[in-house]
Amino acid sequence: MTEATLINPLDTLVDQFPSGWVKKDERPGYSGFIVEREHLLEFARTMRDDFGFDYLSMVTASDYLAEGKFDVVYYAYKTIGGPALIFKVQVPREDAVVPSLVALYPGADFQEREVWDLMGIRFEGHPDLRRILMWEGFEGHPLRKDWKEPFYEEDVKPYKSRWPEGKPVNADDRNPFNDNVQYPTGFDPERWVPEAETLLYSGLQRTTHNEEFKTDELIVNMGPQHPSTHGVFRMVVSLQGEKIVDLKPVMGYLHRNHEKIAERNTFLQNMPFTDRLDYTTSMSNNFAYALAVEKLMGLQVPERADYIRVLMAELTRIMNHFFATGFLLNDLGVYFTASLYAIEERELILDIFEEISGSRMMCNYFRFGGVVRDVSDEVLKKIHNLVYDRIPRKLDQFDAYLTNNEILRTRCEGVGVLTADQAIALSTAGPILRASGVPYDVRRADPYSIYDRLEFDVITGNHGDIYDRYLVRVAEIKESIKIVKQLLRDIPSGPILAGKPAYQVRVPAGESYGRVEGPKGEMGFYIVSNGKPNPERYHVRAPTFINLTSLAPMSRGEKVADVVVILGAIDIVLGEVDR
Amino acid sequence: MLQAYLPLLILLVFAVLIGFLVVAIGHVFGPKRPTARKAAPYESGMVPYGPGTRRISVRYYLVAVLFILFDIETIFFLLWAVVLRDLGVFGLVEMFLFMGTLAVGLIYAWKKGALEWE
Amino acid sequence: MDAGMIWEWIIKSIFLILFMTGGFAYVTLLERRVLARMQVRIGPNRVGKFGLLQPIADAVKLIFKEELIPAGADKLMFIVAPVITVIPALIITGVIPWGTSINLFGREIALSIANVNVGVLYIMAVTSISVYGITLAGWSSNNKYAMFGGLRSTAQMISYELALGLSLVGPILLAGSMNVMDIVQAQKTLPFALLQPAGFIVYFMATLAEINRAPFDMPEAEQELTAGYHTEYSSMKFALFFMAEYIKMIAVAMIGSTMFLGGFQGPFVDQLPWLGPVYLFGKVIVWLFVDIWIRATLPRIRYDKLMALGWKVMYPIALLNVFITGILVVLTTKR
Repeated sequence: MTEATLINPLDTLVDQFPSGWVKKDERPGYSGFIVEREHLLEFARTMRDDFGFDYLSMVTASDYLAEGKFDVVYYAYKTIGGPALIFKVQVPREDAVVPSLVALYPGADFQEREVWDLMGIRFEGHPDLRRILMWEGFEGHPLRKDWKEPFYEEDVKPYKSRWPEGKPVNADDRNPFNDNVQYPTGFDPERWVPEAETLLYSGLQRTTHNEEFKTDELIVNMGPQHPSTHGVFRMVVSLQGEKIVDLKPVMGYLHRNHEKIAERNTFLQNMPFTDRLDYTTSMSNNFAYALAVEKLMGLQVPERADYIRVLMAELTRIMNHFFATGFLLNDLGVYFTASLYAIEERELILDIFEEISGSRMMCNYFRFGGVVRDVSDEVLKKIHNLVYDRIPRKLDQFDAYLTNNEILRTRCEGVGVLTADQAIALSTAGPILRASGVPYDVRRADPYSIYDRLEFDVITGNHGDIYDRYLVRVAEIKESIKIVKQLLRDIPSGPILAGKPAYQVRVPAGESYGRVEGPKGEMGFYIVSNGKPNPERYHVRAPTFINLTSLAPMSRGEKVADVVVILGAIDIVLGEVDR
Repeated sequence: MLQAYLPLLILLVFAVLIGFLVVAIGHVFGPKRPTARKAAPYESGMVPYGPGTRRISVRYYLVAVLFILFDIETIFFLLWAVVLRDLGVFGLVEMFLFMGTLAVGLIYAWKKGALEWE
Repeated sequence: MDAGMIWEWIIKSIFLILFMTGGFAYVTLLERRVLARMQVRIGPNRVGKFGLLQPIADAVKLIFKEELIPAGADKLMFIVAPVITVIPALIITGVIPWGTSINLFGREIALSIANVNVGVLYIMAVTSISVYGITLAGWSSNNKYAMFGGLRSTAQMISYELALGLSLVGPILLAGSMNVMDIVQAQKTLPFALLQPAGFIVYFMATLAEINRAPFDMPEAEQELTAGYHTEYSSMKFALFFMAEYIKMIAVAMIGSTMFLGGFQGPFVDQLPWLGPVYLFGKVIVWLFVDIWIRATLPRIRYDKLMALGWKVMYPIALLNVFITGILVVLTTKR
């Protein structure tokens, strides 16, 4: 990267491509650039190689039915920090084909598959364009605006039919669970043979047999009903003895089309719905969603609310990292001891969440322009006790019993290695990216809320192996404690919500992307509003879903026992992966 | 002298009886409602791809062969250990020669990579 | 030899088998309670006082479970495999003396089932048999996890059997006999664990691998192989595997206590022979507690590392131990 690229502002970008196939997106409320699809690869390559936008964070698409076209939206960043490069490709609905960026940004792999699956935009040149979240026999692409479910009532909630004469009707009584699915004609679930399975199995890499003794390659399914896949997640593994030749993750067993449901909901109805994504870190999800909508509304959050928000986000991080490290040990075969000790403190944090929001896990605590309830001094005292006493003590225990444990180190060191370049290319985020030595943390790279006034370090590892991921997580707990201490010291008094609480918020038309550094990585929401009470497009950049792209490259060549540890170190939550 | 082994034979008979008795108890009392789905081999809920038993890595056989070699040698140690006091230095030297051969064998297997688990 | 002798043997055999199965039931309870306590939990305490009836409830539950035989399985082998696994576990302790002898109903009753002169050889021979059950179970299930589990345990068990066998050479050298009773009597003053520290440690680790306990519980590594070789087993056939594992756990603790910790020896055991069993089982319970403690503490070692440990560390150490012990025995023997 030359020096000139560093100072090259995006404002003059259009002039760099004088032939006119890069235009500024000038629709009101929109930003970024519109690239002609024939030149997308060229544009992306220039952006990556000459401008330093090496990190393709998000790929999604939105359907503009009235205009008869799809926007494929890309958000790219520099790992050295700074604002996003937003570029879009507009394709007509009847000819929805876009060149694939997987060759340039391998991290686009799953995201492009998701867009194909849900939106029906084909990515030319994608190595493995299969459905990813929906099942193989599914007809249609549900996120298209003209796709209707069998019991379709209205485009947006609240449905009038649910309130006949002012009395609520249970939706399940109206739409029997079994019937709200559209099967292809002549479909018999008992006889159905998934064709895509063969495609999946045959897509696995093979080894060449140079050995004297021929061994059969064994293709084993690990999951969906498997004790260590952290939910209904499936890995198809081809094994040579104990060694993994290739691996393909299969997901979608918990898919509920979160985004479609959210597009039917009103803006505020989505706040509790984000809790259900990564159900262990609901506060962070709330945070990102609130940021995205506030950006559109142009709301300024009161200072005290900002402090509370960051406080909760950091407590969530502490809690999540305890959870992740504890259960990593479980994957290593410790019979629950480490994990139970680790989540002891998590319980106390959940108690705090319960006290302030009324719920331990599904907090639904954030509102546009603030938070829903104030935090009492009593709760602050409890948090004080936690960060000054209990959690540091627990961390000392971690260091004493786990960090230098012989077996833990031999099992984790040098296993599942991801180099810095790989980690960036694969769009990994959060502790995985940082363990590979890339100091990229949204809190520092693109500060939001009040993170720019807080003092903390971005923790990085050196080796990019599982052990480093463990160390990064433990160290991040320490940094979070540091942040919480500063917040407790400085928290001002004042209002906690900008404006009056409202059920229906007015969101001006436009697009926005709000992102936070969630405990598992960059948690982002891409929102398109058309001025109505419901989002026109609602997309979640789910960190663990994208982090899973790195599972196969990390696992190849490792032992079968390692793959569960590698998966455990990614720290997935299926509620978020499958959405 | 063989009489000393008679109790072990009796014990064996009872152990076999217990083993089959337990299986029989389960067979008698357990419900039997087999379906094709239930009888399918468990592979995390998916239909298995390919047969359950395949040609497996040669490493496993290698370990088995090495085991037989070294285990037979271990048996010699037991007998030697009983009579070492009577044999004295002569027995010791003899055994060291044997042990040396064993060690050479182990080192050979080691260097050949037979003990590396790929 | 008279009819009385035969009856005595029969009664002792039945007693031993009942004792081992009962012991198995309560070792599971002990394990669950101890693990729970180590994990800031309480553990099963609802069925009976302190959960003492829990094992019975478990057994009843398992009896009424449906038995499944997977399609494509080798039926005969599938049924026989758990029986083959459990038999050696039940008979292995037949040569372990619980004490010298006591006077009961006017009869002098020896506190051991058989006092054979190749006791250690018997132990080693019987231990090897249980491998077959596990291999067959894995192979006959027509299941990939089971096959992997079976293969792994076979490779693991036979690898560790070498070190195990060599570690027992130490006590034999010291006692100059393969008779288990002689070995115990030779530890009257000093348990062999003090004379044979390396052998003792090798024995302890090798048995952990041999009985598939953490941190060597590779064959049933839940995280990758679901349940390993017994994935397809349900109902009482599963119970047999479970039983075999725990009985073997007791058995190796018993053998270890006998070979290295002085067996039934202890203060005043000469005057009061019934103290013998008490001492022996005191030692066994401590041993089992350590096993459980390890399970609660340590992560699992990866398979290739486990094999490397067995062949490259434990076997050479055991060999060296025999070497040194041999020299010392010859040097200290008075001619």
